[in-house]
Amino acid sequence: MKPAPTLSSAFLEPGRQSLPAPLLELRKQRGTALVDMPLPTRKTENWKYSSRHLKLTDELAATLPATGKDGLSLSLPGYRVVFHNGVMIPEASDFPDLDGIRIQRFADLDDDEAAALADRLDNTLDNRAVQMARLNSARFEDGLHIQLDKEAVLDQPLFIVHEVTGTASGSAYPRIYVDAARHSQITLVEEYLSSGNEPVMVNAVTEFMLGDGANVTSVQLVMEGENVQHIGATGVRQAANARFESHCVGFGGPLRRHDLMVRLEGEGGECKLNGVVVTQGKQHYDNHTSIEHVAAHCNSEETYRNIAADQSHAVFNGRIHIHEDAQKSNANMNNKNLLLSTGAEIDTKPELEIYADDVKCAHGATIGQLDKTSLFYLVSRGIGRREANTLLTMAFINELVEQIPVQAVKDAAQLRLNEFFDQTFEEA
Amino acid sequence: MLSIKNLHASVEGEEILKGINLEIKAGEVHAIMGPNGSGKSTLSQVLAGNETFEVTEGEITLNGENLLDLETEERAREGIFLAFQYPVEIPGVSNLQFLRTAVNAMRTHRGEPEMNAAEFMKLAREVSKQVDLDPAFLKRGVNEGFSGGEKKRNEIMQALLLQPKLAILDETDSGLDIDALQVVSKGVNALRADDRAILMVTHYQRLLNHIVPDYVHVLAGGKIVKSGGRELALELEERGYGWLGVKDEETTPSAAS
Repeated sequence: MKPAPTLSSAFLEPGRQSLPAPLLELRKQRGTALVDMPLPTRKTENWKYSSRHLKLTDELAATLPATGKDGLSLSLPGYRVVFHNGVMIPEASDFPDLDGIRIQRFADLDDDEAAALADRLDNTLDNRAVQMARLNSARFEDGLHIQLDKEAVLDQPLFIVHEVTGTASGSAYPRIYVDAARHSQITLVEEYLSSGNEPVMVNAVTEFMLGDGANVTSVQLVMEGENVQHIGATGVRQAANARFESHCVGFGGPLRRHDLMVRLEGEGGECKLNGVVVTQGKQHYDNHTSIEHVAAHCNSEETYRNIAADQSHAVFNGRIHIHEDAQKSNANMNNKNLLLSTGAEIDTKPELEIYADDVKCAHGATIGQLDKTSLFYLVSRGIGRREANTLLTMAFINELVEQIPVQAVKDAAQLRLNEFFDQTFEEA
Repeated sequence: MLSIKNLHASVEGEEILKGINLEIKAGEVHAIMGPNGSGKSTLSQVLAGNETFEVTEGEITLNGENLLDLETEERAREGIFLAFQYPVEIPGVSNLQFLRTAVNAMRTHRGEPEMNAAEFMKLAREVSKQVDLDPAFLKRGVNEGFSGGEKKRNEIMQALLLQPKLAILDETDSGLDIDALQVVSKGVNALRADDRAILMVTHYQRLLNHIVPDYVHVLAGGKIVKSGGRELALELEERGYGWLGVKDEETTPSAAS
């Protein structure tokens, strides 16, 4: 029998050392813990469908050079932070100094601040679920720490552009940590882009700590190219009466894997998780979500839609865990899936663990194709096949696209969707 | 305008239409009546190009052009319109978007410029009044949550917007109360024009009190067994289908027993 594959030691050698000492120390500890870490295989339950798409060659372990501002896509309006190949580019970033809000690059933290952050980093992540994301903690070479004091409100969305350039093989490990103190409010948009053709891995981790009554919206748009393996994790912890909203729109690639973990730890917490995934060609996209109802009287609402064309493969695994003391929990999960070709595959798995007896918990999952009768109705009015198919496919996700609270993201997603429709649907 | 010759069609290997012959000229209104299962709806669907039905023999031409060579959307652009017996609900696509896309597809086909949102909204509001639909329906999903009557009025509104050469109305009166029937009839009568033909498919003759046909045909067992003028419909109402040697469970209970 072949020995189980382990993480190559090449991945545990960060290329950059320009971080405050406490963070360098943390990174080293995390790296030590990953020595000989077994890589996920088909037998690893939560990587069952995706392990064969994970291709960690030693070339991917290299740190990608950051080139600076030139050639980056800077179309996004408003407050902006740009990461290139995992490193923040201050001259491409633009955000004001705001009362009660600190947006700091890891490299710019003083030792005390860095030590405080090092104590908190990883504390929203469930290690069992995010095996591969742990690599981020052993490799991050820069990052952003966002702190909102109590009642601070960021008056417009903060855009974070994560761009990687695959002119050579390598990997990037962007890292965001958001501390939102009580009754503070922020909308954070993360856009993942790429250029170049050489194989690249992006391993991105974003964490949100919400104080009492904090209100945080996270918007993620994953649009990297066919050369990029994207592994991401988002960890969220919510105190009492905090509200978290997530809108993820993702387009496929050789591997897209995202883990979203939310812990409702105080009474009256609320989360709403929306996701849209679109895959084509031989792409693969795997979303794992986990909502932990730890405290009583919390609401969670989750709606994910997958659309798979050609020979692509989409996976949705939605876990809801209602702890013993989480009485009066209200959890709703809905996953609908659309197969646009006979060669496409979608796997969906709701996982409910309920240990409290006075809860409302509903889940539903469907997999289907475009309705032929609806298509006939549309074309019988003179509407072309491509347009009719597009209307019906958009109808499947419209509700979620409409809910994205940032117009620039809606527009960017719609442009990419239109490309997808043009490539997928033919006129008769 | 429309010429159907020896049309045979089947679904899943079972022959439903067994040699239909029908000539319809511009400006005429024809009614096709017949008992359930006689093939009336199949004929409508075949004319519109529903791929569920296979045409095994015969021909259909519209102004000399072979319809059977055309896809459904091409037939629509050439002027075929089918008002569905069961209009489809499509949540997520607004009526406004649907109607404007359809109208613009036709305009593009005719080499006319597309209508922008404001222009179309104005037109849609006017036409919706003709069929007594509250313009607020334009914002809702296609037929989503519509009553039976609203769905039928929406079909007629589409015909008024698309101005077809041949409008086929499949059981447009079914499920309508008398008020809705009058609204729908008014809309259909507004469609009557010298350069347009209308083909009504109906089980009952009551619609024909409101929309008076020039010709009436009886379809039974996949064939037209009798043709006549307006008076044929009245005779059918009085005598049922039995005297034609045709069984109909619903209108002539004695024949069914």
